[in-house]
Amino acid sequence: MIRKRQRSLGEHVEGDLEILPLMNLFVVLIPMLLISAVFVHLTVIRMNLPSDDASATPPQRERLELSVSITDEAWVVKGRRLPDQTIERLTETAPEELRTVLAAVKQGHPEEEDVVIVSEPTTRYDDIIEVMDASRESGLPNISLSGS
Amino acid sequence: MRGRKWRRDAHSKHRPQRLQLTSMMDILTVLLLFLLKSFVVDAEVVTPAPGVELPTSSADSNPESSLVIAVSGESILFANEPIASVADVLAQDDLLIRALDQKLDTAYKQMEELAQRRGKEAPEGKITIQGDRAIEFQLLQRVMYTCNFSGFDQVALAVVSEG
Repeated sequence: MIRKRQRSLGEHVEGDLEILPLMNLFVVLIPMLLISAVFVHLTVIRMNLPSDDASATPPQRERLELSVSITDEAWVVKGRRLPDQTIERLTETAPEELRTVLAAVKQGHPEEEDVVIVSEPTTRYDDIIEVMDASRESGLPNISLSGS
Repeated sequence: MRGRKWRRDAHSKHRPQRLQLTSMMDILTVLLLFLLKSFVVDAEVVTPAPGVELPTSSADSNPESSLVIAVSGESILFANEPIASVADVLAQDDLLIRALDQKLDTAYKQMEELAQRRGKEAPEGKITIQGDRAIEFQLLQRVMYTCNFSGFDQVALAVVSEG
């Protein structure tokens, strides 16, 4: 140790870090990680389709039977003992309005978690997902799909 | 030319020529950490099928490994293999897609056999549907009906996360 220091003092060697081996490591690691990197993060929306076993528990309380119908120009929120509410869906603020309406329903019936999305045969998948998002964010996560 | 030569001479008089790697090392270190992080977060990678543009959603449940049905504008793919054309499926009156049903039945029987060997009762009917954002509900309805018919009742719809 002492000898080493003496030698280095004598030779006036500059104390540079030897980073070339580390560079080699990086040059290999970075392309490898870049190739495997995922820049689009995929998630899923889980749905339970009705299964044919008879274990499904019968409803113990009166259900609200909340439904959101998607038509060409509007969303119609319906439910038992609820007034029908129609929201123009082509405006800028429409998704917010739907969230407000659904959140109000949820507030009135806190135990309610189910909603049925009624679509027309030609309704776009995109639009269905939009309504699913709105209802999940308003606290109604059990979504079923239905045709009109 | 003369100026450059002079400068190099003056420089080499004091110290030997060396690459200045420190700033590059800084960049590489940050990049490496970022990539390592994204590598760890997305441990289970699900790749969208080619030709399928998934809708965006605010959903945040992580995908599980399961069978995948991809529905693009032209065809329905099962395990990356086209098995039915959308036009044919929409032309039929029946909700059941026969070609898909056959494939799903085979897959379900295999899963059942595996579950029996492991001593479990029934296999979990998990399936992921990757649908193009532009497909119509009647197509989705047929695909989901077929899944349910073949015993796959835990359907997950794949979407691209907004965040």
